[in-house]
Amino acid sequence: MISVRALTKLYGDFTAVRDVSFDVGAGEILGLVGPNGAGKTTTLRCLAGIIAPSSGAVAIAGHDIQKDPIPAKRALAFIPDEPHLFDYLSVEEHLRFIARLYGVADVETRIGPLLDELELGDKRRSLPGELSRGMRQKLAIACGLLHDPSVLILDEPLTGLDPAGMRRMRATVIARAARGTSVILSSHLLNLVEELCTKLLVLRQGSAAAYGTIGEIIEAHPSLASKSLEEVFLTLTASDSVAG
Amino acid sequence: MNALLYLSWNSARNRFLSAFRRVRSPRYAVALIVGALYLWGFLWRPANQPMATGFLLSQPSEMLITLLAVLTLAGPWVFGSDNLALAFTQAEVSMLFPAPITRRGLIGHKLFRAQVAVLINAAIWVFVLRRGGNLLPSPLRAVGVWVLFSTLNLHRLGAALVQSSIKAHGRVAAKRNLWSIAAFGFVGAALVTGFVVNRRELLDTDGIGEFFVAMAKVLAQAPASIGLWPFHLVVAPTFARSINQWWHAIIPALAVMGLHVFWVLRSDAAFEDAALEASEQRARRMDAIRSRRSIVVPKSSLAAKTTLRLKAIGHPAMAIFWKNILCLRRTAQLRLLLGPAGMAIAFGAALSSGARDFSLWVTATAATFAGLLIVFGGRLVRNDLRHDMLHLPLLKAVPVRSSDIVLAEVASSTVPIVVLQLVVVVIAYIASFGTERIWLSPTTRLAILVGSPFLMLAINGALITIQNGMAILFPAWIRLGSAVSTGVEALGQNVLAMVANLFTLLVALLPPTVLAALTFQLLGGTHGQRTLFVLWTPMLVAAVILGLETYASILWLGRALTRAEPLQTT
Repeated sequence: MISVRALTKLYGDFTAVRDVSFDVGAGEILGLVGPNGAGKTTTLRCLAGIIAPSSGAVAIAGHDIQKDPIPAKRALAFIPDEPHLFDYLSVEEHLRFIARLYGVADVETRIGPLLDELELGDKRRSLPGELSRGMRQKLAIACGLLHDPSVLILDEPLTGLDPAGMRRMRATVIARAARGTSVILSSHLLNLVEELCTKLLVLRQGSAAAYGTIGEIIEAHPSLASKSLEEVFLTLTASDSVAG
Repeated sequence: MNALLYLSWNSARNRFLSAFRRVRSPRYAVALIVGALYLWGFLWRPANQPMATGFLLSQPSEMLITLLAVLTLAGPWVFGSDNLALAFTQAEVSMLFPAPITRRGLIGHKLFRAQVAVLINAAIWVFVLRRGGNLLPSPLRAVGVWVLFSTLNLHRLGAALVQSSIKAHGRVAAKRNLWSIAAFGFVGAALVTGFVVNRRELLDTDGIGEFFVAMAKVLAQAPASIGLWPFHLVVAPTFARSINQWWHAIIPALAVMGLHVFWVLRSDAAFEDAALEASEQRARRMDAIRSRRSIVVPKSSLAAKTTLRLKAIGHPAMAIFWKNILCLRRTAQLRLLLGPAGMAIAFGAALSSGARDFSLWVTATAATFAGLLIVFGGRLVRNDLRHDMLHLPLLKAVPVRSSDIVLAEVASSTVPIVVLQLVVVVIAYIASFGTERIWLSPTTRLAILVGSPFLMLAINGALITIQNGMAILFPAWIRLGSAVSTGVEALGQNVLAMVANLFTLLVALLPPTVLAALTFQLLGGTHGQRTLFVLWTPMLVAAVILGLETYASILWLGRALTRAEPLQTT
């Protein structure tokens, strides 16, 4: 469902992402981890079609995001860490706006359950300025899930959520993957990544330091055996990394 | 160095350097060269002969500018708090408000930051006015303009503080600010009385020039002059005609400015006092202040009580148009059109000898307003990419073609302006039959009426496409967001931007104008044929050609939007 080949992104002389390749199949959850400035958000933005790669190819649900962007974007949902909401649209209007953009015909039957699921049922008429940080994040999540995407890209999805919201979000991601959605989850919460993800991509200074299941990564780096994910992460992302 | 001074200085320096570094990009370099040539042509080019700007420094202008200043400042008093005057940035709110800085210190910081805009606009006006005569050295004129704009800025801030204090603490604050409310009320009463008492002088005029001279005369005599007196003191140094006159004018002007400083700080103190007396409200307000992007609390969900229907199925770009129309309904953009409406009313009154001929006054006012909407509409209604470029990541992630996004965004500002224009054109058309003084034949009037929808759509569409193009191509140099700089002190920048836009429009208008003229000739218009068809067809031709040019530009801008990256706007 997601295929990335030799993805490179340059900003002038600076290489933000260098020659990164990976695949995420239907029902798989890829954890994207790396220290600050490793290129995670740039990678996700390239995948979502927000920025163009300098070279390489990204295919979403079989469509090249650059050459055939409309069907590719229709298949995906990108939920950024900082919710992008319109100050003058209410909660319900945000969902109706998204429904029209993605052609969700049965929006009437979807809005109620989705808002109830995210505990926004009594905030339908509220403007974003009246919502807490967590509620705004929930609204952004609702906007992302409304059109039932086959590819879900989440950048720090738990930011601002309360414990119940975090639990519900974890359940949502697992449920979506079980229904065949390909998920990429970028997070610094390594326990979350360990709990949810079937595969891992570790980025360091724009390059892939490791990619595969935890078992495959340990197999490629025997010295990491019996170490916790946190130790694996710190070792792989250290400047004199063992990755190779 | 004081922390706030350090913040202001480094912010200004870094912003300038950051903007200047953009010149390494070819399109920014070209824009800089074009901008420099334009500024040279408009401001610095040696003037061989005194230009028409001479009238700006005349005696009637002095009084009319004084009136304009009062009308500008009336906004916060009539319509409530001036959000822009009080707004702080997100970083300022999160870092300065919890810091051990007095509220007075924050107000001082706000005033200091405003000086950047004041100085830029003062410089522009000094260059514009230097062509009006060289009786006063430019540096002295510059000081006069600076005092004028600084005082206007102080007044806006003071009025906003008073209004916010009243809004937060009701009657208690209103009582404390009674003197400032009463003072402005007195100014309004003096002006109204002046116009009522001396209305014959206005009604007996013939023509626009005479009307404005008569109006200036009314303003220069009691009782209007008494109400305008403190404002006139501030305006006077700018209009001084000799060094001696300037010295006599500048000291009272500085005194008025000093009083404004005192007033702003006193309003601030009153705000704190009132806050202490109503501690519960204060706590809620300060909590709101500390948790929001600006110190102005956003509108409540009451604003979203009524909505517009949007079908789930249909062209997705329609969703963007729908969203922007809701934005227009829920923000104060349309209120800004009251300025051009006021100008149109005044111009209409001038044309109809103080509205003696009511039908002529309605016709002239409506026609002028329609024309002013072309000039100001697109500058004031920013319901498009000038607002949405701040949401670029979201726009780029949705499954809509970039050119369709640009088209929907341009339509979001164009359609409301055109609808408003058509309403006033219809009013002008109907009213024109009630007066004998309209020289256009009924056929020509009908041709204008039926040609207007096409021409208005094409011209406004082209102008707004130009402005959206600027937002896409030069996001780092364009102020993004719905807010537009208002007030006399921002007039200089607005005039420059407006002239640049109109110049671009003139270039775009060349092909349609030539083709429309050829069509007119081919149909026999130059040989006296003046049927509806002969008059209307060239209008349609011009509208179609301009529309095609605009559409081609939108397609091109769509490709530019595809390449635009959010980093450019952050």
